[in-house]
Amino acid sequence: MTETLLTATRTAARPAARASGEIRLIDVTKSFSPGSYAVREINLTIPDGCYCCLLGPSGCGKTTILRMIAGHETPTAGEISIGGHSVLGLPPGRRGTAMMFQSYALFPHLSVLDNVAFYLKMRGIRRDERRRQARAMLERVQLDHLRDRMPAQLSGGQQQRVALARSLITNPRVLLLDEPLSALDEFLRLRMRGELKSLQTELGITFVHVTHTQPEAIALADLVVVMETGQIEQAASAAAIFDRPATPYVARFMGGQNVLTGRVMQLADARPRLESSEGWIFELPAAPAPPAGATVSVAIRRDRVALSRHDSRGNSVPPNAIAGSVEATEYQGSYFKVTLNVGMKHAFVANVSDTAFAAEPVAAGDVVLASWRAEHVHVLSRPDLGDAGVPYLDTTE
Amino acid sequence: MALASGRRPWTFYALSAFFALFVLFLYGPMISLLILSFQGPSGALDFPLRHPSFIWFRAIVHPTGNGDIIGAFSRSLPLALIVMMLTMLISVTAGFAFRRRFHGSALLFYLTIASLIAPGLVLSIGILVMFRFLGLPATWYGSALGAHLSWTLPFGLLIMFSVLGRLDPSYEEAAHDLGAGRWRTVRDVVLPIVLPGIIAVALFGFTLSYDEFPRTWLTAGTKNTLPLEIWTMLTNVTSPVLYALGTVTTGFSFFLIAVALGSIVLIRRRRSARR
Repeated sequence: MTETLLTATRTAARPAARASGEIRLIDVTKSFSPGSYAVREINLTIPDGCYCCLLGPSGCGKTTILRMIAGHETPTAGEISIGGHSVLGLPPGRRGTAMMFQSYALFPHLSVLDNVAFYLKMRGIRRDERRRQARAMLERVQLDHLRDRMPAQLSGGQQQRVALARSLITNPRVLLLDEPLSALDEFLRLRMRGELKSLQTELGITFVHVTHTQPEAIALADLVVVMETGQIEQAASAAAIFDRPATPYVARFMGGQNVLTGRVMQLADARPRLESSEGWIFELPAAPAPPAGATVSVAIRRDRVALSRHDSRGNSVPPNAIAGSVEATEYQGSYFKVTLNVGMKHAFVANVSDTAFAAEPVAAGDVVLASWRAEHVHVLSRPDLGDAGVPYLDTTE
Repeated sequence: MALASGRRPWTFYALSAFFALFVLFLYGPMISLLILSFQGPSGALDFPLRHPSFIWFRAIVHPTGNGDIIGAFSRSLPLALIVMMLTMLISVTAGFAFRRRFHGSALLFYLTIASLIAPGLVLSIGILVMFRFLGLPATWYGSALGAHLSWTLPFGLLIMFSVLGRLDPSYEEAAHDLGAGRWRTVRDVVLPIVLPGIIAVALFGFTLSYDEFPRTWLTAGTKNTLPLEIWTMLTNVTSPVLYALGTVTTGFSFFLIAVALGSIVLIRRRRSARR
């Protein structure tokens, strides 16, 4: 793919002294009807020049946050500032933000060129001057040859580029993207994902990108904000979210993790241990040691789990392992996804590398032991109460 | 769709026959009328057509005791135009008002729509009685205008509902995002997008008024509109001039539809050509 989103050089991008695109949300609450909340007491700081992904299932409030930053919704309570100044009460056009809508919202009655020039027209810039600038912007997204087309005559990918050009011509300090890739087919989605990332790197402005797709967030974001039912579950780097999820919900939602729950055992000197209701023993990291008797949940990455055949007759299960029967194996290219039935509500999944699988293959019905090393146990901030794992989605691409 | 055997189910033939009947009842009379309007001077009111001529068309323009067609037209046309303008203005603004749920909006909507159910003749009598009571004369530009609006406004509002229901609110949000104020958003984005719908409302307003009979019957006063004049002629005159008149008015209606559709196409073309 030789075509890239932007052909212009970095110097053409922006003057050196640019207004800060730091976004701060303080105790932001939005309620559409009394007693129910779209988002509740959100506190979030998105640094200037950050690529931030708001991630969560539909209805979690991520789009509401985006729309409040843009000024299309007004918070019921709380404060929103951009670059250190409150933007509450400012109309959308005066916030220094530009929004790319999920539907792109290209004006169907205007040509591509007039769509891109719309902002300049509203600012009273002369026709030939705004056409010149709009053409320059279209050249940057490599669509100048389509400038006389109507939006309905463009493909989805082309429409998206026009929407992007129309947003960028406002010279924003914050670009807000509402599910920008969801309308594209798989091939185009991966390509545009890369182009969005390089565009953000080049422009250096803040991007806030709403998505319900975990791989998209992990691939793009400097800051991933995982949301559920109007609240932030975790806001951290993609690596931290994926490797060290804060809550059972995040662990399950991001996929790639097994969540196990048990009670902390009373022990004098050794490592703290958990005992699950099934009688399995899991060692915990030495510190911080939770109080004895507390219910604690841990996460173990699927790819840290090793499988071995297990003879269930009389053989007890050692610590840091559980036994179960293989429900299914799925070939994923570089690894095998092995799903185990361990008698819990959620299946236990091990991602076994193709070499390890070849050394000791397992098939559905086999009784196996799934084990891991104690240092791969990650303690979650709250116990799994069983209600947090509903929107379980797989991250396999 | 295409069955492997190539045979169509019996419902296909039943529904095709029904559609054929529909076409026959819609266009059969119009075509008969069209042909018979060219009846010769010695011809009768029905087939066969003898010595085709334009004599009955001439009779429309030069009335010889056939009624005041030109006079009726000179009232029907401005009445239809006024109804069209008012329907357009009120339906469009009311349609926008209904986009936001306000207190009592459902009740207001049903009150408006109810006039579609009210029998036209009854309404006509009622309006006449009301005007008498108020001591006002019944005129085509007064009582008849009101009667027509009671008929066209619910239609106009319903059309605007469907037009605005399809208007994605993100167009307006995008306009606000790009620095357009309320008025510029309406002028530069919303109106152009819904313009075809507005033209449809106008067309409905015009045609519903132009050929409205029951609601005009008692409300037009002493001077007839065109449908009333045709009705009067039917009861007095029995000559093919009625057919000629029918052909001309039908042609006029088709001409209006063509103008409306043509203007939509022209607007689209001018937009894409305006560089």
